Amino acid sequence: MSTAESYSRPIPLFAIVLVALAVHGPLLFMQLPAGSFDTNFHIFFASHYASHWFDPWNVKWFAGFSQTTYPPLTHQWIALLSNVVGLKMGYMLVQLIAVMLLPVGVFRFAKIWVNERAASYAALASVFLGALAFLVYQAGQLATVTSTALYLNALPYLYEWITTASGRSFLKGVAVSWTAAAAHHVTLIFGVLFFALPVLWVAILDAREPVVEADAHDPDVRVRDEGERVPGAVRGVLLRTGAFALIVGLGIGLVLAPYWLSILRHPVRQMPIPHDSRSNFLLNSTTAINYFVIPYGALLLGIPFILVRGARARRLRPLLFGFWLAFIFGLGGTTPLPRWLLGRAFEILTFERFTFWATLLAMPLLGAVAVSLLDRFASKAAAAMALAAVATVGAALWWLNANPYRPTAIVDVNPVIAFLNRDGHDSYRYITLGLGSELAQVSTYTNATSVDGDYNSARLLPEMTNYGSAQLTNAKFYGSAGMASLRAMLEHASRYGLKFVFVHDSYYEPLLTFAGWRKIETFDNGEITAWSKDDVPPAHTISSDAMPAPWEGVLWGTLPMGVSFLAIFLELWLPERRRVVAPVGVPVHVRQPYVA
Amino acid sequence: MKTILTIIVVATVVLVAVGLLGAGQTKSGTIGFANGSALPGLTPKADTPEQAVTNLLNDVQKRRWDAAYGALSKTSGVDEETFREEWQGSNGSLRTFSNLEGSELRPVHATNDDAQIRARLRWTTPVGPIEDVRDFRLIREGGLWKVVWPKQQVANVPAQVVPVTYLRWDLVSGDGKDEWGARNIDPPHVRIVSMNAVNSAEGSAVMGEVVNEDTVPAFVNVGATLVDGGGNPIDDENSFDKIDHVLLPKQITPYRIDFPGIDLSKVKNVRMDIKASLVPASADPVIGVMNQKIDADVQGRSVLRGELLNQSGQTVNIPHVIASFYDNNGKVIWVSDGYVDRALLPETSEPFSVDIPRSLAGKVQSFHVVVNQYSLGKS
Repeated sequence: MSTAESYSRPIPLFAIVLVALAVHGPLLFMQLPAGSFDTNFHIFFASHYASHWFDPWNVKWFAGFSQTTYPPLTHQWIALLSNVVGLKMGYMLVQLIAVMLLPVGVFRFAKIWVNERAASYAALASVFLGALAFLVYQAGQLATVTSTALYLNALPYLYEWITTASGRSFLKGVAVSWTAAAAHHVTLIFGVLFFALPVLWVAILDAREPVVEADAHDPDVRVRDEGERVPGAVRGVLLRTGAFALIVGLGIGLVLAPYWLSILRHPVRQMPIPHDSRSNFLLNSTTAINYFVIPYGALLLGIPFILVRGARARRLRPLLFGFWLAFIFGLGGTTPLPRWLLGRAFEILTFERFTFWATLLAMPLLGAVAVSLLDRFASKAAAAMALAAVATVGAALWWLNANPYRPTAIVDVNPVIAFLNRDGHDSYRYITLGLGSELAQVSTYTNATSVDGDYNSARLLPEMTNYGSAQLTNAKFYGSAGMASLRAMLEHASRYGLKFVFVHDSYYEPLLTFAGWRKIETFDNGEITAWSKDDVPPAHTISSDAMPAPWEGVLWGTLPMGVSFLAIFLELWLPERRRVVAPVGVPVHVRQPYVA
Repeated sequence: MKTILTIIVVATVVLVAVGLLGAGQTKSGTIGFANGSALPGLTPKADTPEQAVTNLLNDVQKRRWDAAYGALSKTSGVDEETFREEWQGSNGSLRTFSNLEGSELRPVHATNDDAQIRARLRWTTPVGPIEDVRDFRLIREGGLWKVVWPKQQVANVPAQVVPVTYLRWDLVSGDGKDEWGARNIDPPHVRIVSMNAVNSAEGSAVMGEVVNEDTVPAFVNVGATLVDGGGNPIDDENSFDKIDHVLLPKQITPYRIDFPGIDLSKVKNVRMDIKASLVPASADPVIGVMNQKIDADVQGRSVLRGELLNQSGQTVNIPHVIASFYDNNGKVIWVSDGYVDRALLPETSEPFSVDIPRSLAGKVQSFHVVVNQYSLGKS
């Protein structure tokens, strides 16, 4: 096979998955995400499920909180795997599965829009996305990546169902959608806007005009066959979409019922917490690099071509619109559009996930651009694109250590855990100051409980919700609001049985000293100091109306995991029918037509 | 195709432009990460005195010292290191722990070539927010306004030997542990000598004084529970940092306990609770309080001013002043506190001031000041 011929064929999906394994497998097995912002948080949640599968009430943070405030699927899978490989490696395995599912999802999603060859390039490019590396290794957003990968795999089933009325696509689409929701609800909610609406739009286009004349000459755009009529035309599409949405909606309502109940009981009313992804990137170079340059990487060079490619073919315009909207959302506070559309939710959401989605929505278009480049420049284009891909993921990995947002250097928290677990110290509560995401690691392995926690949505203590700052351990980064929150908590130390403070940042020492706390121990060559207050009584249970009922625990422990098994079962039981591609025949002159 | 591309590009440009115009409404991110700079051309020129000071403070906030120093007039006569030290602090002072969080500017006077701007600077510090009022003098240089930065006079203390004669109490416990609190020894005898409850701007406050009547040092903490007419507790709080927790023998400290959002009219009774334990302590460093007087600050508020003199040979990194104010009957009518943001070097003095509520300023007949302190490595 010549070089030109090899470029003219789609890359096998299996090979792309192997590339994903080769690129991300070693990084994950080296536990690179261990230092990310959220990894310890996910492991902490998983550790609770590992020991209390049917009891989502976790007393280790916020003097008690409900884990039904966060969809459980990824954590429960880690908890399951932890029985074999431990919590940390369980996390890495679940993340690796998500990373390997992503190019599969991109490939299948891209095939809605472009031909198989372009879709394969899209899938390959998705392995090297800066935004993916950013979310996996810097942010530790396991649930977002997993849910997005699942959702991308669900959308082709949706498209098949609404355009062909395929029952097996309906079943699999519903099951995978439920699974995606069980992994991360926010992804599914916004996925409807950014991903599902363009799919519906293109399905309506297909129903109206099976072969879009304007696109018929475009070799990269998927063109339906003349015979592929959409049953029931536009009305049929809308009816089937409605049925799909209804069943998925009802299922999500049931699978995540304890989550919805917890939201109804305690709507998010806490003061907004600042996040740099909401700022104007043009006014802060560091933010711009972190949330724009690194996630897009070399894709930025391709955006003009992506726009042109998306605008040229009528069938690609819904996708282009989805990409543009996600792109604008990913800019956070650089434009007012997210604030206008989201209202108060703007102050709750973080926006790096929208950039991730924008890059994924760009992939089919990028695949089409890649086809054009390879057809025209062959090896030169392949080399340039390979270089761009490696540079993009490389830059994201380099930025892990270069960015000013990086978590503080990992410290040895084992002495803190040992201190809390001995001499009855776990009968009191504790907080850490300056330990960042290591707080979750301490919480995972100690029996003692804390009034702090690395999770904003479940906080109900007024000392935390009234001030507009996040974790107490990071109080100083939230300025006066953060310090006021910490101060309020320390003022009420006796109320909560808060006796021990572990300090990894001397910034907090003056406050502790003036408030009457005394240094009692030093760990890890002075890296961490333990402070105590003498007149604090032992911690007692803080009653809360947020505690889920036992039946909610049973539901939470069975349905999310159940739908994921259902999805796996359906994928195996109802394998995708491979489209038989008609051989491209050479036109021949028929001398004697067959007459029946 | 062209129409769609045009719509997308124009919509993006318009949205970005609107975003830039409304940038002031967008909440900035976390303070600790405020270190990036705007893209070139997006920082407004210092063509007004207010803009010049705004740019300077913005650079200070983001710790872009070269840019901040570049906003100074050539006539300033201060080198960049000294300028930087004035903003960042030195010797482990409170300022070294502080971040500039915001500011409000008010022009004091302006001509074509000369102006004065008064800035209320809001600092975030480990011990709570601190406000600072600073006047900036500006002159016009080459069409742009520049800040004139005066050279600060630094106290020059001659080299000397300071003899140490202070008292110190150590605790020895049987197993070498439990130094703090010495649980197997009777607590020192401490007593609340006065208590008064008043409504305050934020709610209500209970205040007074505590004395250590024992011959050993005591760690004290005062708590109070407000009780309603039905005997039910409304709220319980403690003195937190508005007290000197470590009392030497016979030493008196003021205390104040704040109850935010609670009106005293709903309170029938106040239950006081004082906890004391034996602790090691020392009388060093000795800090003298000099030249105290009640005065008005630049904003017209009543304040108690004075100077703290470090009479020992050790640096006091963060001095904390707690003052009790008495009416003509000798009753404590308010307790106020304030932190000094410059370190007290040995044998030098630093000014301090603490606020007095406007409604009480006229009733104050006398006052008593105690000084608490934080020294690095001595917690």
